Amino acid sequence: MTRTAVDPARSLTILLTAAAVLLPLGLVAWQSLLSAPFFMPDKSIGLDAFRFIFDDADFAGAFKNSLLLACGMAIIAVPLGGVLAFLMVRTDLPGRTLIEPLVMVPIFLSPLVLGFGYVVATGPVGFYTLWAQSLLGLSEAPWNVYAYSSIVVIAGLTHVPHVYLYTSTALRSLPSDLEEAARCAGAKPWQVALHVSLPMVLPALLYAGVLVFFLGFEVFGLVLVLGDPEGHLVLPTYLYKLTNKLGTPSYHLMAAVAVCIVGVTLPLVMLQRLLLKSANKYASIGGKGGRQRPLPLGAWRWPAAGVIAAWLAFSIFVPLSGLILRSFVSGWGEGVHLLEVLTVEHFRDVADSQTALNAIVNTVLIGVVGGALTVACYAAIGLAAHRRNDGWTRLLDYLVMLPRAVPGLLAGLAFLWVFLFFPPLAPLRTTIFSVWLAYSVVWLAYGMRLVSSALLQVAPELEEAARISGANRARSTRDVTLPLIRYGLLGSWLLMFLIFEREYSTGVYLLGPGTEVVGSMLVSLWGSGALDQVAALAVINVALVCVGLGLALRFGINLRH
Amino acid sequence: MKKFAIALTCCLNFTVQAQIPAGYPADYAATVAAAEKEGKVVVYSSTDSTSTKPLLADFQALYPKIKVEYHDMNTTEIYSRFISENAANAGTADVLWSSSMDLQVKLVSDGNALTYVSPEAGKLPDWALWKNEAYGTTFEPIVFVYNKRLLQADEIPLTHADFTRILGAKADRFRNKVNSYDVEKSGLGFMLVTQDAMVSPAYWDLAKAMGAVSSRYQSSTGTMMERISSGENLLGYNLLGAYAFVKAKKDPAIGIVYPKDYTLVISRVMFVAKKARNPNAAKLWLDYILSRRGQTVMANQADLFALRADVEGETTAAGLTKQLGAALKPVRIGPELLNMLDPAKRLEFLKQWQQTAVGKK
Repeated sequence: MTRTAVDPARSLTILLTAAAVLLPLGLVAWQSLLSAPFFMPDKSIGLDAFRFIFDDADFAGAFKNSLLLACGMAIIAVPLGGVLAFLMVRTDLPGRTLIEPLVMVPIFLSPLVLGFGYVVATGPVGFYTLWAQSLLGLSEAPWNVYAYSSIVVIAGLTHVPHVYLYTSTALRSLPSDLEEAARCAGAKPWQVALHVSLPMVLPALLYAGVLVFFLGFEVFGLVLVLGDPEGHLVLPTYLYKLTNKLGTPSYHLMAAVAVCIVGVTLPLVMLQRLLLKSANKYASIGGKGGRQRPLPLGAWRWPAAGVIAAWLAFSIFVPLSGLILRSFVSGWGEGVHLLEVLTVEHFRDVADSQTALNAIVNTVLIGVVGGALTVACYAAIGLAAHRRNDGWTRLLDYLVMLPRAVPGLLAGLAFLWVFLFFPPLAPLRTTIFSVWLAYSVVWLAYGMRLVSSALLQVAPELEEAARISGANRARSTRDVTLPLIRYGLLGSWLLMFLIFEREYSTGVYLLGPGTEVVGSMLVSLWGSGALDQVAALAVINVALVCVGLGLALRFGINLRH
Repeated sequence: MKKFAIALTCCLNFTVQAQIPAGYPADYAATVAAAEKEGKVVVYSSTDSTSTKPLLADFQALYPKIKVEYHDMNTTEIYSRFISENAANAGTADVLWSSSMDLQVKLVSDGNALTYVSPEAGKLPDWALWKNEAYGTTFEPIVFVYNKRLLQADEIPLTHADFTRILGAKADRFRNKVNSYDVEKSGLGFMLVTQDAMVSPAYWDLAKAMGAVSSRYQSSTGTMMERISSGENLLGYNLLGAYAFVKAKKDPAIGIVYPKDYTLVISRVMFVAKKARNPNAAKLWLDYILSRRGQTVMANQADLFALRADVEGETTAAGLTKQLGAALKPVRIGPELLNMLDPAKRLEFLKQWQQTAVGKK
């Protein structure tokens, strides 16, 4: 193909991506080698920061816990997310359009609040706990939600939606002729899933697995709430500890931890590249068109619905019901009669505060508009790597993974520094652009991979046909490639919307009055101990987003026919 | 033209003079005029904007031409953002207002504050003012919080010694049921226990008693109170009185004890930044917060405890003094607070705390 020609659009895309990723990351790396903030005069260069954290028993413990969490999350979320996607997209599972927005809740709900929901529902005096206790006649709680194993299971189950999103996006682009053929030949639904559908979406599943594993190093809010009482540390909560441990925030120690996490990404990207070496064999959208028909589950219908219901119950219903209950009571727990403490005052408080409503509107706008712009950028990056297997593509593969290696607490600072100390960007610091750029860079891998796994599905013959008929590269991209990856783009937009709904820490130093978002409001209310209002605001937010999503997904599904 | 300008200035002066608060020096009019020309003041604050809403509204009513750009964030964020922006010579806060007394004192001692004698300075207790730069603004007691529903009358500690004794006597009852700040994660929690250790030699006995019942150390006041309210924990040590007070108004399960032997008092520290772009508006904001008017709004509408002795009510220094008298131990704003910011001393203290209060070897 056009391997020899220099493509200015491609060069520019790669250059901008590299700058956006390497500027904040370079600052972090530089900071890890200093003894004081890099902008202070009294700094010296050395490895003291690394020495400090390697000597700290807490760091070793936190690293081990994070690794365990990451593995657990991947092991739990990948198979479940895959099954969920297959059942929801490919089969005639009852009620599947209704539950789709609910499935997304764990992605956009602040993990702090999600963890709080679990405490109210299943904590030592949570209402399910007390209920189970009296039902079983026990004197103690039948489970311990603060145990590290519980935290891993909860994190795993609440990351199923991420995998679902990747796999379902890939499945939506696939014609169902192969599955129907298998079914006609007498294969059972699970055989179809395992031997036909699974191999076709393997790249998407693999990306999802790698990303969820990696997300395991980023889990903060959930562990802060559930791990606090028993003192479980993971790397991000260790980082949080480092901000206060030495009195003034120790940026160099935090940066050193981030550099260690970057070290974890490199083998991950290598593994991913190795597994996807012969990418062409995954091309499943070919010249022969096909349409999708849901696969009848037959007798498997109800057992399948049971599996989904169980997952939904534990990962969505339990924390959400805890949260909803909390938003309607003034107190709860041991010895409280719920009927006596019912109140709608928390909702009134939230409705009274104009900022809360502004925050919800702002957040949705950032999610929808900002998300769309972000996906446009991701698509450009995806196309820059499409069908080229040169050094630049390899560089992009590594680049996209790097930003998320820096935990939110430090990423927020790194972006503040970029906008403060990099003169061309300085005038934009106080605009919403800075927040948008920070979010887009940090979540690069997550949105980009949806686009690239869609690109992997497109067989080269279609683009080649366009080129042979005289279209130039730009035209074939616009008229052939982009329409074919529309589900990837839509999926990416959905994910970015959900992430922008929740994201907070990366933008914390760039947000100002007037640009309140739900995430920042929740954290600020949390800080002042107003958990009543946290619960009420979160419930309003979940309700609005779910209704909006329900409508949007309907619209999205209509696009198909 | 020149005449017209003079006439205009006179006219401005006239309108401005009408606004000078009673008892302020005459040249305050010039400050007000300059502040109105600046048109806004940028505040970085750790007090959340919901509780400061009445203060902002009242300030707006007093000085309609000055807009308060109120950024609410946590104490570490204030510190990090300010020093970064300052180093880059970029726009930053005119006023910093934070409950992290030690970080504020550090910023002031590093030369970041403007020296300014507020006309209200004479009305403040001497511990609340340092170098005419750092001003205390509130009077917030540190309290014990307990679950009213589940605790017997004789299980409620009224003094620090009680706390130690009750945990020792009923170790099984209180196992896993006491909470307090994780002082490694919370800068405020750390400052409070270092003050405890200074005020009372018996603090380490208390820490040991808390360690013996495996107390639950957490990072946020909100979750601590929530767990006490639900009965998951029964007793909380060193919680912020202002937040507990608000919670107790709505939640009948929350009981508050102001320890009778000594009650630590902290104060949100405010200073005007040396490089403030709106220094005059910043002065007006500081003076307003310290004024009788501002402090009255603070105590009655903003759910904070007022510092001035001439403001009456339950949530004021005067009200607490009536109740507790000399048992109140305000944390002095001054260089002593810098001691514990020294990493070596801090790590040493943390180690001792870990060994006693957590039981880590």
